[in-house]
Amino acid sequence: MTPDNDNPDLEALFDSVVAQAAPAAVPPPAPTPAPAASSPGGDDAALEALFDTVAAETKHAAEVATTPAPAPAAAVSAADGGNGEWPTQESVFNRLGQMTRQLHNTLHELGYDKILENAASALPDAKDRLAYIASLTEQAACRVLNATDVAQPAMDALGGSAKGLGERWNKAFANQLTTAEFKQLAEDTRAYLNTDLPQKTGVVNAQLMEIMMAQDFQDLTGQVIKKTVALAQDLENGLMAALLEVVPKNKRSEEVTSLMNGPVVNAEGRSDVVVNQQQVDDLLGSLGF
Amino acid sequence: MPDPKLRILVVDDFSTMRRIVRNLLKELGFTNVDEAEDGAIALQKLNTEPFEFVVTDWNMPNMDGLTLLQTVRSTPSLKHLPVLMVTAEAKKENIIAAAQAGASGYIVKPFTAATLSEKLNKIFEKMAQA
Repeated sequence: MTPDNDNPDLEALFDSVVAQAAPAAVPPPAPTPAPAASSPGGDDAALEALFDTVAAETKHAAEVATTPAPAPAAAVSAADGGNGEWPTQESVFNRLGQMTRQLHNTLHELGYDKILENAASALPDAKDRLAYIASLTEQAACRVLNATDVAQPAMDALGGSAKGLGERWNKAFANQLTTAEFKQLAEDTRAYLNTDLPQKTGVVNAQLMEIMMAQDFQDLTGQVIKKTVALAQDLENGLMAALLEVVPKNKRSEEVTSLMNGPVVNAEGRSDVVVNQQQVDDLLGSLGF
Repeated sequence: MPDPKLRILVVDDFSTMRRIVRNLLKELGFTNVDEAEDGAIALQKLNTEPFEFVVTDWNMPNMDGLTLLQTVRSTPSLKHLPVLMVTAEAKKENIIAAAQAGASGYIVKPFTAATLSEKLNKIFEKMAQA
């Protein structure tokens, strides 16, 4: 049975791969005993044969050959709806299954399973990093919006006062003011220049500074994003290679069709997306909307 | 010029985006603005309070903007409500799906104040003709 020190997750992964691969009893790259394939309803036997093959290659015969069949034959054949349609896939599944077992055993032998654990634990860390970015950018956006909320009334007040004084000065130049009114205008203008203007521009300047300082997230998020991208690339490289082998040829070019994809990050070379509002308008116009 | 008291519902799951749209609307003279953070909450508000205009994002939890639009169009008491989509979804099939579902306008993020103003005016013109 399964040794105590085996990682149950890897075991389950291996079992699921084998369960899908089982119907093809003859994995191309390895010499397999033929009788297993010929026995009808012999999924268990086929699995055994597969395990034997792997075991022979990995010198872990005792451990592997006794691993129980993961699923009843009925479930295996039910999951195998595409038996006739994807014959090449089955061999890939087989190979993948063998590779997984080999890898598992080798890693285990060499103590590398800890490294895999580290890789797996890097993912939650990446999640934390992304959450950190979301939080920092949200804070920055709020700081900037708060700053504009403070600065706008100050600017409105300055503009309003200047407009009022300007109109009164126009009247003065048109000789429409009494001496008392002109005196008052001069005093108001002096107060505006000496008090109002410096005070309000001070407020606005402080908020401009605040807006500038709110951009400090860029440095922090930039670093975190770079690290996360590096991790994603590592994962992608490994997964891509495996996926490309498994995905049937005619499905490779098909894109995921969904209406909720978020912003288009890279529109270069794509004809299915718009890059600006003008193209939205043109498209809608061409459709008569 | 449309009534500045026009009651507008801004639907977006990001509070900063709601604030930006609200500020832009204020700049354009519309101060009677309420917010909802997803389609489900928006629908609840639309069914209980009188709104005359909806600005909605597409990608939101619980109920997305397209479903909200479709629900609005299939509800007799709401179906004449103008719905302006403001979204980062930029695939052509998105735009076509929104138009077919009866969107009054489609703005792709990031957008400018001028774009919002132009689209709003276009919708108001159409409303006036109707």
